[in-house]
Amino acid sequence: MVYIIRVFLSICITLLVSCSQGQAEKESQMALIKTTNPNPTVTKKNYGQDNVEKIEREVESIDEIYDVAVVKGKEATLVVYKVKHMQRFRMKQIEKDLTKKLEEKYPKEQFTVSSDYKIFLEAVRLVERKDNGNLSDKQAEKRLNEIVKMTSDMK
Amino acid sequence: MASKQKKMTPQQQKYQQLQQKHELKRPVLKNCIKAFFVGGLICVVGQAISYFYIYFFDFTEQSVGNPTVATMVFLSMLLTGFGVYDRLGQFAGAGSAVPVTGFGNAVISAAIEHRTEGFVLGVGGNMFKLAGSVILFGVFSAFVVALIKTLLGMWGVL
Repeated sequence: MVYIIRVFLSICITLLVSCSQGQAEKESQMALIKTTNPNPTVTKKNYGQDNVEKIEREVESIDEIYDVAVVKGKEATLVVYKVKHMQRFRMKQIEKDLTKKLEEKYPKEQFTVSSDYKIFLEAVRLVERKDNGNLSDKQAEKRLNEIVKMTSDMK
Repeated sequence: MASKQKKMTPQQQKYQQLQQKHELKRPVLKNCIKAFFVGGLICVVGQAISYFYIYFFDFTEQSVGNPTVATMVFLSMLLTGFGVYDRLGQFAGAGSAVPVTGFGNAVISAAIEHRTEGFVLGVGGNMFKLAGSVILFGVFSAFVVALIKTLLGMWGVL
């Protein structure tokens, strides 16, 4: 019994240590657990950085939301956020209200709104890799479209 | 209960009172606290596993439930085989039986118990003795809920 517990614990520790090795991206490692608030990003410089910052401020102003990532590409604008724990019962309603609000305020944008942790994590990873210069504009656009496709698969 | 007591002879009633006086009281609150913490701990492990799948694989929050449940059931089956889960069950009671890990335990413990009767009639025939009802009522209630959701969707309520 004690032997089995020791083996189990040592496997867990080995896995945890090995999983944290060799990863340059720091912010995204903790993105599921703590607040990261990544910078609003555009996949190409002339896509309107000001607009993206405005969108992020708009989303952040909602009381139920506490961690926001906004990425704008050629066509799609990805808005991902975390919902405060006690407000998670109203998640669908919050998503609906936010989508409506954004679409009314920015009718030209094509929004993809999600509160899924996986989408949030991938958005943070994308922002981080773009900021570090590990992704070209084209690669970033491609990755953004992949993430947007992931959200449409969930519906 | 009162009618039962009326039928008892005075001697039986006296014995009943004596028995009630010496009966050990079940530590209900203590059991509840144990079940709460151990059940919660199992859920924490489940949450960690689901974060693991979200972080390292392409599972979203909606789809991560399937591999997490499969992993939890598999782990509880292994622990039952090693004899660890039974001890945990004795300590935590409902705390180890109510989470999905209890399902794995129910399957494997029945299989181990009837191993001596052979693979087909023993293991195969009795493996789902306890867990069979969980599957039956689970499938049936899922069917009913899906039917209600479909009808509400057709009527435009949802």
